[in-house]
Amino acid sequence: MVVLSSKIKNSFLSRQSEYIFLVGCILVSFGILLVTVGGSWDITNHLLNKPDTFFSPPHALMYLGVTISLTGVIVSFLSWRLLQNLKNLYFLSLKNSLIGIALLSGAGPFDYIWHSNFGLDGLLSPPHLTLIAGMFFCAIGGMIGISRFLKINPVKNHLRYLIILAIMPVWLSGSGIISSLSLPFSNTDYFEFNPDPTFAFIAAALGFPFLISMSSLLIFRLSDFRFGMVSVLGGLFLLIYSSTAIIPNFALMDSIVFYSLNLIPFIIADVILFFNKTRKSLIFVGGLLGSVYYMVYYPYVMYTFNEILLGKLVSPSLIYFVYFEMIDDVLMFTVIPAIILGILAVFVSERASKKILGFNIS
Amino acid sequence: MKKLLLVTLIGFSLTVYFGLTVFILPEQYMSHEKLISQPHFDVKISDRDISLGESFRLDIVTENKGEYGDIHILSTAFPDLTEVGSVVNIATYDFTQPPTNIVPGDEMIAKYSGGLEHMIAKYPSIEAMSRPIHPGSTYHLSQIITPERQGNFSIYVKSVNIPHTSDLSHHPQTGILDHQEEYVQVYSVNVNP
Repeated sequence: MVVLSSKIKNSFLSRQSEYIFLVGCILVSFGILLVTVGGSWDITNHLLNKPDTFFSPPHALMYLGVTISLTGVIVSFLSWRLLQNLKNLYFLSLKNSLIGIALLSGAGPFDYIWHSNFGLDGLLSPPHLTLIAGMFFCAIGGMIGISRFLKINPVKNHLRYLIILAIMPVWLSGSGIISSLSLPFSNTDYFEFNPDPTFAFIAAALGFPFLISMSSLLIFRLSDFRFGMVSVLGGLFLLIYSSTAIIPNFALMDSIVFYSLNLIPFIIADVILFFNKTRKSLIFVGGLLGSVYYMVYYPYVMYTFNEILLGKLVSPSLIYFVYFEMIDDVLMFTVIPAIILGILAVFVSERASKKILGFNIS
Repeated sequence: MKKLLLVTLIGFSLTVYFGLTVFILPEQYMSHEKLISQPHFDVKISDRDISLGESFRLDIVTENKGEYGDIHILSTAFPDLTEVGSVVNIATYDFTQPPTNIVPGDEMIAKYSGGLEHMIAKYPSIEAMSRPIHPGSTYHLSQIITPERQGNFSIYVKSVNIPHTSDLSHHPQTGILDHQEEYVQVYSVNVNP
């Protein structure tokens, strides 16, 4: 009787701990979402206002995000210790979050010391690279935890949308990595960290299409092929990007119409996958989503291609003149590799989703 | 039938999307007029005639009389000095960036080129900057100047907005050219023994 009671108590504790672990993962993902939004806003702030201090609103948002993520990792760790049979299932999530938060927590003081010694740093700098790597690991940790919870637990319908919160930070932090490796925003008075223009060109032309297609197909697979997920994820990405990179720049306001049209390919992808889930459809959708990267990553992707194609000095208010001047050339040179990378993401997302869920879902 | 309808709908949507984003809208946006911001400034000098050892106050109010711009720069240069030292002190300013000192020998962007052409500074100057610059916005810079030599003490003042899209993007638009080969307004104060 005592043994049975103990078993029931342990099982109850384990179940509660699993829910608390989920809360931890949600906090990790939400925190990273804030960090990535703050990061995108920070790029715009530097471009438009050139702040001369470490203490700026985008930095505040980023470090609020780090604090929330740190809280999430602590909650995850404490609850993970109480998990009984599920410890192994959630270990990969916890491991990624712990690595990520260690990097993130170190990046804050590192960044402050860097600012104090070398003034404003560029986009790509050792502290920023540490920050972005930390963001990515944490986002992966949160995504694995949330996905595995949703897969093995019967949850209410609206909770299934948590998968969007799980994947969005991965997409945005992945975008942060590729942006750092491709945008020419990294030279300062002390260091010339701007990536080589050819390398930057290739990184953007291959990395962004892969990321769009990978994120969209990952959410499709992890949500059990749920209709609407790709559109919601894509729409949210466009909303975040437009509110941090376009709306703050007065001169770009009228290009919101152009940018909003990017929702169409995501809706088309959703419709195709709703009616036809064959590999052929997936390949078509992958290629389609890869091909629209230059439009989806408007406006800053222009700076990368301008380095090679035009070499113009671009003042922030002239961004779209240069962007649209290059659109034909960029697509002519990059649309085929972009489609190929989009298709490649179909296969990678299949393997990744199995790895994320910890078992074969197909 | 259903499949055909779906394929038609998707084909139409893709045509609309790529047609608008790659062909139609770019043409439209490219045909828009570029925004032209237009700097202007008013200068007030407290005394035009001072004795050696005395100070005078230089108050400058700048304004963007044109459209939205990215950067607004006000430059005050001192062709009679080799260094600003304790001669020029900034009393107050409300530009969004702290004023910076340019010393002789510094490399500067020249000829309103926005970075394509450079020249070496021949005399010291102080540059104040705000970014971005909205239509009608005003900024203020006040300096206390105590000349150390008698005679004529000259000050070159100019304002440049970026992007520099036309002659309207700088003030003054005529006059003498400074060491950056850009137009300046000249002000002077007589320093008596």
